[in-house]
Amino acid sequence: MNAQTLISFGRSLLPVLLRRGGQALAVGVLVGMLSFLMMRWLPGDFAYRIAAGRYGYDLVSAEAAEAVRRELALDAPWYVALAGWWQQLLAFDLGNSLVIGTPVIDEIRHQLGHTLMLAGAALGLSLLIGLPLGVAAGLRPGGWADRLGLLVSVALRAFPPFLLGLLMVIVFAGADLPAAGHGEAANLFLPALTLALGLAAGSSRIVREAIRNVLASEHYAFAQTKGLPLSLAVWRHALRNMALPVVAYLGVQLVFVIEGVVILETLFAWPGIGHALVHAVFWRDVPMIQGTCLMLALCFVLLNALVDLLCLALDPRHR
Amino acid sequence: MAADSFVPRRRALLLGLGALPLAACRPQGDLPAAVEADGQTLRLVGPWEITGLDPSRAGYLFSRTEISETLVDLDDQGHYVAGLASEWSVSADRLHWRFRLRPGARFHDGSPVSGAAVRQALAFARVKPGGLGMVPIERIEAGEFTVDLHLRQIFEPLPAVLAHSSTQILAPECYGASGSVRRIVGSGPYKLSLLEAPQRFAAEVAETWDGPAPAIRRLHYLAVGRGESRALMAESGQADVVYGLDPASWQRLRGNPRLQVQAVHLPRTIYLKLNAGHPLLARREVREAISLAIDRAGIARAVLRDESAAASQLLPPVLPDWHDPALAPLATDLARAGQLLDGLGWARGADGIRRDGQGERLALKLQTFPDRPELPVVAAAIQEQMRQLGIAVEVAIGNSSDIPAGHRNGTLEMALGARNYASIADPSVTLLQDFGSAGGDWGAMGWSDPALVSALASLQGSGEAAARAALRRQVTTTLQGELPVIPVAWNRLVAAVQPGLAGFSLDPFERSYRISRMRWQS
Amino acid sequence: MKLTTLHRIGWLLLAAVAVFAAFGPALTGTDPFAQDLRAFLQAPGLAHPLGTDHLGRSMLARLADAAQLSLGLAALSVLSAAIPGTVLGILAAWYGGALEKVLLFISDSVLALPGLLLVLLLATLAPGEFWPLYLGLSLAFWVEYFRVVRASARTLFASPGVEASLLLGFGLGYIVRRHVWPELAPVVRTLASFGLAAAVLAMAALGFVGVGVKPPRPELGVMMTELLPYYQEAPWLIAAPVGLLATTLLALILIQHEEKNA
Repeated sequence: MNAQTLISFGRSLLPVLLRRGGQALAVGVLVGMLSFLMMRWLPGDFAYRIAAGRYGYDLVSAEAAEAVRRELALDAPWYVALAGWWQQLLAFDLGNSLVIGTPVIDEIRHQLGHTLMLAGAALGLSLLIGLPLGVAAGLRPGGWADRLGLLVSVALRAFPPFLLGLLMVIVFAGADLPAAGHGEAANLFLPALTLALGLAAGSSRIVREAIRNVLASEHYAFAQTKGLPLSLAVWRHALRNMALPVVAYLGVQLVFVIEGVVILETLFAWPGIGHALVHAVFWRDVPMIQGTCLMLALCFVLLNALVDLLCLALDPRHR
Repeated sequence: MAADSFVPRRRALLLGLGALPLAACRPQGDLPAAVEADGQTLRLVGPWEITGLDPSRAGYLFSRTEISETLVDLDDQGHYVAGLASEWSVSADRLHWRFRLRPGARFHDGSPVSGAAVRQALAFARVKPGGLGMVPIERIEAGEFTVDLHLRQIFEPLPAVLAHSSTQILAPECYGASGSVRRIVGSGPYKLSLLEAPQRFAAEVAETWDGPAPAIRRLHYLAVGRGESRALMAESGQADVVYGLDPASWQRLRGNPRLQVQAVHLPRTIYLKLNAGHPLLARREVREAISLAIDRAGIARAVLRDESAAASQLLPPVLPDWHDPALAPLATDLARAGQLLDGLGWARGADGIRRDGQGERLALKLQTFPDRPELPVVAAAIQEQMRQLGIAVEVAIGNSSDIPAGHRNGTLEMALGARNYASIADPSVTLLQDFGSAGGDWGAMGWSDPALVSALASLQGSGEAAARAALRRQVTTTLQGELPVIPVAWNRLVAAVQPGLAGFSLDPFERSYRISRMRWQS
Repeated sequence: MKLTTLHRIGWLLLAAVAVFAAFGPALTGTDPFAQDLRAFLQAPGLAHPLGTDHLGRSMLARLADAAQLSLGLAALSVLSAAIPGTVLGILAAWYGGALEKVLLFISDSVLALPGLLLVLLLATLAPGEFWPLYLGLSLAFWVEYFRVVRASARTLFASPGVEASLLLGFGLGYIVRRHVWPELAPVVRTLASFGLAAAVLAMAALGFVGVGVKPPRPELGVMMTELLPYYQEAPWLIAAPVGLLATTLLALILIQHEEKNA
């Protein structure tokens, strides 16, 4: 049975990879086009916005904006600009940032690397926190662990992350952890914990629901009559049923995390894609936005593929 | 189902979850060595991000940290002193300036700072924003260790422009084909050792430096966007110097015995820019009424947390040549403001908002931007104060470039900005930009005064000291009386410093962090 | 339905929040815009039960005004995300095939597109208004419901109970009502409750990066951003909007808690 399982798992692996590979291409193309068109639709004079990004509010002026317009040929029609972008992309070139001037790919490597580091650490921490809490709450619905877990998760979900981050800094002030900055491993802890708490607040409740549903189900009653010990019954029946919604939930959450940590990045002076994207949007730094969107889309497809594989491994019905 | 069937799946789950953080951690490998808190590295924290290496972009960070130099330097009082140029002379017709480069000055790559290198750097600076583009330069000539600037007409503030960070001199190898800056090789006491845009860089003492060796051997700069985070870094001792404390943090840290908190007035004024071409704002009485309605003392106290921040005139006392104590200070008097509008026959409607002679509701849009966090708050205060006067104000918080863009296409009605009048050390340059015959992107709109323009133009020529003082007084008196822009408050720069650092001081012109003057107390 | 203590507390809290939001602005009788720059950051007292903010405005009046605006818009945003998300999720799981593929592709594309870009685009429809921001949020958030509902519904449609109903000739409507919705409802309602808080917090996040701030109108999320600088000097100020949001969320969760167990 074990070998059989592995073989059937392997057989269903290929379609997933093929499908997700195709999707990567399609989503990448779509996202690239959409972000391009959206940026075209956004109001405001791009030359002024780019000039403000480059030179700051002290030096931005009509002259600076006109110089930018000439330098970047911003008057070119949209199809010329889009064709230019495609040409570059086919040569694996994401172009240069219009504001900072460096190649977009270098910027993204720096920023996305830090974001993934933060997201990964936060996800790991959130599982460490959320799973046991959710299981404890689900095993005894209405018990003290459940009630406390509920209160804490409600409080956490109503807390703005910047305030939570500041509280973390103050709480851990005695632990000699850096309040902000990056470059050292210790810098990772506070932003990751802040993020993880928010994630755990959601996932622990989903885990709880799943466990509770399983415990109320006929399978479970049957297992109990069979005389299986509680822990084994939970493992066998609950884990699998619970894992599907949890993995689906975390899959979505992680995308929000990757693009949405801008607040924590700003608060903790942690470089990241959210920060880069927000500034690129404000500055109308189109190559940077397109490059970032493209990379995020590819990350997302990769993540989806991982979630698929996880679900596949968890639930034989999907095969 | 057999009990063993879920085991491999469980492992796959754990592996799958484990793979994410593992893959994510990979970039950590190439991170440069950490910043040691060994008492050697000076850890600076400020709000300014490295938005580009170009001298006209974030180049000021490299001149402030003494990595790069400008030809001319300023002393603490704002007087010109030798920088990269050890001395300079002007011809009798005042059109030909010769700058003699400091003998022994070398770039961090070891090459001498030559006349040709300086000429190249200045040529690139001329075509970028920052000030050199305004100078009527005919041509730049390079000797071996001299640079000659030939002007088309007299321009006395030239040394002030050459002290601006946008005219800093970088080694020729730094510039790309079109003048874009690819790296930073300067000639100052510190050389760049790490650059991780947009947030941090580090520098160490350059062996090429020909002056006295600085006591601080290494420095690290980190850009931290939020004032709350910066304050916490100062409190926890993770930063030796934190620039730019927000007003609330300033209040708190002032009482902290383990920190010294220093503040200096900046030549930067928060002001209301008005479109005097707008039918509602064309009359001087209306502008005066608005000025009378603004509670400067209240804004200074509640928003800026600094009683001395209320602006009594446009230019603050930190510019002694330009601040005129004899001018009658701008007053707050809502009753008189109301009388001025009553006098125009602009009576209040049922909603408390006044209507002008044609029955038009007095509603105006105020544009501002969040890059300086105090501006939206000040805008909200002014909005309410103008509502008390009977003018409905809609506050739009957008991008800083919306203001020059709105100025150019004529749609701007009011804007709240913060202008540094001594970004070029001679304020007449900025004032002429702002109050010239066609107004200025960050100055007057739809308003000009020929006498003021000619006074400012004369100030850029040569003249007797007494005559220049009279011209300056004419400028400040006109601005105070006509109110083409309405001053609101004067800005301060506040820094928190660890007590172990000696020799710390703040530069009101924000040109230098004066790191080479600091040392560790032990 | 049996009312337990928790259930009662939940309804009571929700009623309190609703009354505060609906009638608060009229009851406080204080102008939420009126400033007093001499009495800023005041501690709660008789004149101002929740103190005054950084411009000397009454926090109680502002909170009541904000509650009305923000909770209303957040509820709108949640509904406009949850209803299409849930319906499409069930349809995708039921019909499968091309419909599911198309829906998955759309949801994946939306998810792959940075939400900020969507929100900013929507915001340009009516600059200076709050509702396009909330609507933009639902444009990003519906995917969450869609994915979770589809994943669970697929499992549920494969259950023996559904198969039995199918054999008996029951249609989609019956099966959803009888087998799927009772199982999905708690998950969707939990998501929606948290989604309400998430929408308000997303406004705070937008305010944090300088989007959506529009003086002088108070809005819960933006208030959190505006009052952040005073978190140590006057912690009760930022506690007010956070507390109101937490109370609302707690009330919603408690009510569901009981409905399920009853």
